[in-house]
Amino acid sequence: MKAVFYTADPLPWADDIGGVPWPLLPVANRPLLDYWLETCAEIGIRQVQVILGEGADEVEEFAGNGSRWGVEIQYSFARANEQPLDYLKATSNRWEDGLLFIGAAFFLRRRQAYKPSDFQILEACHYGAEGKAWFLYGKTGDEVKALLEGGFGSDRGLEQIHVHPFIIDGIPAYFDINMKMVEGELQRYVTAGFSNVDGSSVGYNVLTPPSAHLRPPLIIGNDCRFGFMSTIGAKVVVGNHVIIDSHTELSNCLILQDTYIGQNLEIRNKIVSGNRLISAEDGTVVEITDSWLVARNRPNMRTEDLVRYIILWVLALGIALIQAIPFCILYPLVRLTRIGIFQKNVFHDPKTGYLNLPVFIKLKNRKSIIYRLFRAAMLDRFPWLLLALRGRLFVCGQPPMRHPEEDELITQLPHYYPAVFSYADYSRDSDRLVDSLWYAHIRSLFEDVKILIKSFLYRFFRAGSK
Amino acid sequence: MIVACSKDQGIGVIRVSNALSAATVDTFREQLASWQAVEVNVKNYVIDLKQVDFMDSAGLGTLIAVLKRITERGGDLKIACLQKKPRMVFEITRAYKVFEIYDTVDEALKMFK
Repeated sequence: MKAVFYTADPLPWADDIGGVPWPLLPVANRPLLDYWLETCAEIGIRQVQVILGEGADEVEEFAGNGSRWGVEIQYSFARANEQPLDYLKATSNRWEDGLLFIGAAFFLRRRQAYKPSDFQILEACHYGAEGKAWFLYGKTGDEVKALLEGGFGSDRGLEQIHVHPFIIDGIPAYFDINMKMVEGELQRYVTAGFSNVDGSSVGYNVLTPPSAHLRPPLIIGNDCRFGFMSTIGAKVVVGNHVIIDSHTELSNCLILQDTYIGQNLEIRNKIVSGNRLISAEDGTVVEITDSWLVARNRPNMRTEDLVRYIILWVLALGIALIQAIPFCILYPLVRLTRIGIFQKNVFHDPKTGYLNLPVFIKLKNRKSIIYRLFRAAMLDRFPWLLLALRGRLFVCGQPPMRHPEEDELITQLPHYYPAVFSYADYSRDSDRLVDSLWYAHIRSLFEDVKILIKSFLYRFFRAGSK
Repeated sequence: MIVACSKDQGIGVIRVSNALSAATVDTFREQLASWQAVEVNVKNYVIDLKQVDFMDSAGLGTLIAVLKRITERGGDLKIACLQKKPRMVFEITRAYKVFEIYDTVDEALKMFK
C-alpha cells in the first residue's frame, strides 16, 4: 500500500493561525503530518508521496526522508490546474496495492475500542465535496479504482485500521480536536512506557515556581516558563517554548509554540499564536500590537542559523588546518603501535537518513604518550571536522545518534543537529536526550563557541585519563 | 474628529469613530476633554464603540483613565456596542470586570435610570 499526502492547496483558516504551514499545525503539540506518518508506519505503508505547496521547505525539513517513522518519503510539487483526483486517476496503476490519500487537514483519530465484527463492514472509505477528493482509503487496487470513479464509498470511519479521520475544516474544529486531546484522547497517542494518568502531560525543561498552579487536564510542551502566581488549566494545551508571565490565568485554551503571554491576563476559549489572539468559537483573529500583552517570543532562526553556520565553518577550517599535520604524524604511529583505529559506525543523518562516521576505537588499554597527545589535540575528531567542512556535520551541536541503538531518541528530537562537538565532550553527567533538546532550544553562536572552547580545554587537561 | 459627543436625557453619549490605539488616544482625550469643559453638568456617560474595530492597550488604558476621572466626580461610565475584536482585548485584560458593557446605547442609557 502507498500513501499520498496532498498539501498543495492552501487552507485560509490555517493561514489565520499563522506560524507554520497547515500540515505542520500542531494537535496536542505534534504536527498533523507526524500523526499521518505514524499511522502509515502502523498500518504497514512504507512508501509515502508528499505533494508540496506553500511552506514546502518547512514540511520537507520536518519529515526528511521519513526514516524517523520507518517510511520512505518522496516529494513533488503540484502541477498548475491539476486536481488531486485527476492525478490519482492518471496514476491509478500505482495504487494496485491500495492507497491512503489525504488532501486536507484530517486528524487521524485513533479508536479507543473497536468491535472485531465491524471489520468486514467497510472495505473502503472516501471523503470529499464539490468533485474534490479530500480523503480516500482503499485496501486493494480495485477498491481504489472504484473510489476514484465515485463508486462505493462510505462516510464512516476506517474500522479496519482503527482510525477515524476527523476533518479540521476551520478554527473551531481545530480547537475542538485539541480540547478532545487534552480531555483524555492523548492517552491513545503516548509512547509506550509513558502515561498521563492524572490528565497532565508536561514536556522537558519546564520551569514552574512553587506558586504557579497547574490544574489538569493539561498538555505542556518543552522549554516553557511559568511566572509566579500563574494558573494553568484546566483544559489547556501549551506548545513548545511558551512563556506565561505572572498572575495570568489560562483555561480552556490553546497556546501555540513560541508565544509570550503577559502579566495578569486571562485567556479562556481562545487560541493564542504569537501575537495573534483567535476566538475559538468563530475564528475571529486580532493581531495584538502590544508586546507586553501577547507576542511571538522567538524571531525567525533561519538567518541566525545561517550566520552561525558560516562563522563556525571558518573556525572549523582553521582548526582542521592546525590539526592536519599533527594528525598525519600521530595517527600512523597510533595505528602502528596498535593502540587504536578508526571504525565506521552508522549514525542518523537529518538529510540522508543514515551516515557512516569514523569513530576512534581504543584497542589496547595502556598508557602511551602518543595516545595522550593524539587525544589532547582532539585528533580523533579530525575526520569529523573534515565532514563538517563538507557540510555533512555541524561543528557544534548535538552528539550524532547511533543507529539503531538511539532510534528511540531520534523520534523525540524535533530538531537534530549532529555535530563534531557537543555538551557530551565536556560534561560527565550529560544526558543525550535532555542535552540535545536543550541545545535545539538555546542554540546560538555564543553557545557554540562555548561548546568548542570547553571541549578542547576539557580534553586537553584530561587527555589520556580514559 | 474621532469623537462625536451628544447629550441624551442628561447623559453624555460619546461616539468613537476610529480605532482606539496609541495613534489616536491623544486626539480622543483632547476632544472628549474639550466637550466636557463645555458640558460641565454631565456626570454620567455612555461610550458607543460600534465603529471601533480595534483597540490596543493604550486605548484601553485611556478608557480606564476616563472612567476613573468620571467616577471621581461622582458619575459613571458605561460601554455600549463593543465589537468582537475589542471585546477579545477586554476579555484577556479582565477589563470586562471594570466596565459595565451593554449591547446597545439604549440599554446602557436605561441602566442610568
